[in-house]
Amino acid sequence: MPYCLICVCVCVWCVCVCVCVCVCVCVCVCVCVCVCVCSQEGYSEPCKQCGAVSWALSDGCQFFCRNCHNVIEKTQDVVDVSSFILNNKISSISSSSRKKTRREGGREWMVCEGFQFILKLQAEALVGLGVCPQFKTDVLWDFWKRYLQITRQAYTRSPVNSFTNTVYLSSESEPESAFLSEASDQTEPMSASGHSTDGRSSVCSGSLDAACYLSAKERKSRQLMNMPRTLALCHLALLWLREAITLADLLRLVSRRLIPYINVYEEFPEEMQFYGRDAIIFRVETIPSYRKVHGEALQMAEILQLPAFPPVTSDCLLHPALLSLRYLMEVNLPDELHSLVCRVIEKSAMGKESFLTFNPSKPKSTFLFYDLQAAALIIVTMKLLFKLDDHVEWTLSRKAVKKDDQGKKKTSKQGSKMFSLKAWYMTVHPALERARQREELFEARRPWKSKKVLIPAMKHKAVVLKRRRVVEQLQSSFHTLTGSVPEQQSSSPSSFQFLWGQEEDSDGPSLHHKRLNCMLEKRGKEKWLVNQAYWHTDLKRCHKKDCRDHYSELKHSLPRMYVWLLGLFSFLLRVSEAQVHKEVVEVERRLLLRKAVPEEDNHKHRKRKGRKTSSSF
Amino acid sequence: MDDIEAELGISRSVGNEDFSDSSEDERVARKIRPPILLHSSTAQARAKESGFHESSRLCLKAIRDAMLHHHWQEAAQYLSAYSQTLEDTTVNKQSLACEIIWRLGTEILQHHPNSRLEDFNALYEQMKNSGVKNYAKICLEHSFHLLLNGHIYDAKRQLSVAASWRYGKQSVPQSLDLKLIHAYCGFLDYVIWHMKKSSVSEAEDNSSNREMHSYFRQASVTLQEIIAQPGVWDPFVLSYVDMLEFYNDQEEALKVLQNYAYNKDYPSNPNAHVYLYQFLKRHEAPPAKLISILKVLHHLVPSHELMQEYCYLLVNSVVPGHLEESLPVVFNLLDYPSWKNDLDTWNCLLTVMTVFKRKGLQHLIANEWKQRKDFWLTMHYRAYHGRKDSELNRELLLVKAKVAKLLGEHGKPDHFFKYKLLIIFIFLMF
Repeated sequence: MPYCLICVCVCVWCVCVCVCVCVCVCVCVCVCVCVCVCSQEGYSEPCKQCGAVSWALSDGCQFFCRNCHNVIEKTQDVVDVSSFILNNKISSISSSSRKKTRREGGREWMVCEGFQFILKLQAEALVGLGVCPQFKTDVLWDFWKRYLQITRQAYTRSPVNSFTNTVYLSSESEPESAFLSEASDQTEPMSASGHSTDGRSSVCSGSLDAACYLSAKERKSRQLMNMPRTLALCHLALLWLREAITLADLLRLVSRRLIPYINVYEEFPEEMQFYGRDAIIFRVETIPSYRKVHGEALQMAEILQLPAFPPVTSDCLLHPALLSLRYLMEVNLPDELHSLVCRVIEKSAMGKESFLTFNPSKPKSTFLFYDLQAAALIIVTMKLLFKLDDHVEWTLSRKAVKKDDQGKKKTSKQGSKMFSLKAWYMTVHPALERARQREELFEARRPWKSKKVLIPAMKHKAVVLKRRRVVEQLQSSFHTLTGSVPEQQSSSPSSFQFLWGQEEDSDGPSLHHKRLNCMLEKRGKEKWLVNQAYWHTDLKRCHKKDCRDHYSELKHSLPRMYVWLLGLFSFLLRVSEAQVHKEVVEVERRLLLRKAVPEEDNHKHRKRKGRKTSSSF
Repeated sequence: MDDIEAELGISRSVGNEDFSDSSEDERVARKIRPPILLHSSTAQARAKESGFHESSRLCLKAIRDAMLHHHWQEAAQYLSAYSQTLEDTTVNKQSLACEIIWRLGTEILQHHPNSRLEDFNALYEQMKNSGVKNYAKICLEHSFHLLLNGHIYDAKRQLSVAASWRYGKQSVPQSLDLKLIHAYCGFLDYVIWHMKKSSVSEAEDNSSNREMHSYFRQASVTLQEIIAQPGVWDPFVLSYVDMLEFYNDQEEALKVLQNYAYNKDYPSNPNAHVYLYQFLKRHEAPPAKLISILKVLHHLVPSHELMQEYCYLLVNSVVPGHLEESLPVVFNLLDYPSWKNDLDTWNCLLTVMTVFKRKGLQHLIANEWKQRKDFWLTMHYRAYHGRKDSELNRELLLVKAKVAKLLGEHGKPDHFFKYKLLIIFIFLMF
């Protein structure tokens, strides 16, 4: 039974109060996700009276100046919500039901509003880091709206009522008519909030629907949000915009606290009261792993039924050619290597748009690990060049040094020109160890607990508050004892973790301009690799269901240099060595097996194969 | 005297010092967790742990490293970061964190150059109240710390607060702690009494005298109660006896000491016999009584420093048979390396041997010598020893040479050949 209501809603997105007329269909307790457009973005002319740009919408959809309350002629345009949300009828905005709770200043809120708030903060942080502003206003916002619509939490004619399963004890005897639902066959009268001031409640939470987030079954069936999913959504949106921030970067930014994630509920507005079960939903005690966020992103893409993503072209920073250049810089490898990496990309056909572009609508499309793939390409190229069997690479680097010495005698004393793997290892290894140490100590000092106390249940309140007090006292007393401020790492949002060059705080000398001449030799007209052999682990796919990787079994038989290289990239990308290795195998599969006939059915893990065809450059 | 066998039996069954009978010991021992390396864990456990737990593990490791390298400043920094583990949501880890912060925190404060007593007090108070399980233990430690810094009255106050504290059902280790707290309460009363005593003797003041007596009453009631329970109570017994002696209640003191030394329920404790001996010696008891006490002590600790006195007592005793007992005592003493270079002991041996020779008991010397010939020669009579003795203590060398001469009569003379040669050489040199 549709009827019109004038309602006041508070938008979590832009935290403005607006009054609007909307058609409410079946009002029970409606999810109110405000679709008001932030005033600044909707209309940005300065006010004629006071000159401020601070517009808000009145209930007649008219703009008025928040500064001087001057109402102007302009009314709100029809909001062009999104290009792909087809069924975007604003259907369930209602705040007649939304009322102030008895708690001073508190407001009823839904868990998804909390997530919306978090997403907003994350989006703002990313935009602040230099992502294009569309990220917040269009892409992430649209993804979020689409998510709410598809999971029928909002923007739908038949919202899933999340209250049906919760039991709220009424703290007041009178049934509240606004909560009597017409659509759902709810019989018992419900109270407005889960808690009551006199502490008689059973389900204790600040939000209205925290209880249904706690059952795993419901979480799964209704595809509810969780904290890692906020990052997954950010990742998808970044990918949509083809921004240079890869998943590994995103997680590093989260870990450096440049993107709000840990204890983000501290930022919730005052009126969103936060306690009890909410804590379990929003509390973060771990930064999700790369694999986890990637998996969640894949799931979200399926849930959102996203169309094909914009193609990853060769000028896009996610393209392996450009990404690998970045990682070559990061690990201090010579620039010349890049052309070889590009050859590998070409040979393995990994530079194609069709391969690189993520298309969730196609059934067999893979969701690539772009950063891992670039790292794997570098490793494969290194293996082609140096073999990396703990033997050949050292012989080659000895040769390079020798050649360098000869060259020096002939020409000037410019220092060595040739790239020697040994010199590279001697530069990078100590820097890596230092960085690992630094990272470990940073991790050891990371504050996880928020200053804003989480009260899991009213009866524990005193204990929790006392504990917080003790912790604060301890921290302050030991802090005064140390005297100085513990130097936190300067959190400049750089995409590089190492600094190579002559600067004072650099990790070592830069090797970017070294030559690779020694690794190539001229035979006829073509240049050939000096190293003629290539080894790889078993490339056959393991079809066992629970099989993840065989790396732990293999690790001890693999050459140390190779394992060290995996370790280097696993540190840079914050993933496990096994995952990098898996990606290397994936690249090798594409490189070696794509057109080739699998000539030997090999049961050995390591096999040697002469490379004659593709070794000429 | 007839308790010796029982005494020795107890000493065999109760290896560790504890306050209760052995069955309870075992129970307590079983409850004590084996040491776990908290800062390291298996790779499997690491894969599952949350970021927060990983942080606290790494932080603990960093604290440990800083402490091992004596970087107290750094350790304090990390401990400040570690304190967030108190807010862990799992109860187990929370109480563990409490204990870790208490123990590491006090250790760091102990060594930190800028730490003040207030810091200690604040830490103890916070830790006492955040993990109630360790309340008694922390109270005890707190009062020890105050005692070390000379705040006796504060320490006393801490203990009396702790003594009146109750939480839930008393567990076995908790009751042990409370017993100790009780004991130290009495002991501190004694300490205060002692201080009052020395101040009172100067200025005869009636009121302070009365105060002193009231402390005596408090202390004696508590100490009596504590000492009555089986256990090792050395300082408490001594203080109680001291007070009793001051008030001229020798009989009670003797009773206490005898009970402490000979009661079968108490764990074997050589000190108990030492205290009894010292008490009797102070009050000029007959030598026979002293000898009987030292005989037990000799069985318990053959290397005890009182054995020389025991030996002289035996030699001078008129009771037949005592003289013969003296020889093994002094020989036993010299079996221990701690007496190897002690001039008095060697003198004692020389005296005893000359007495024996005079009385024609050389066969006894020969007997003892036969048992020890092999290792005494390498232990006392090598050229190296002679050289060292000549550098450090010429007198000792002389006495040892005399003993060697007496011993040489029983063995082949060439046993001491090298040694003698050296002595002659050394004496020719100087």
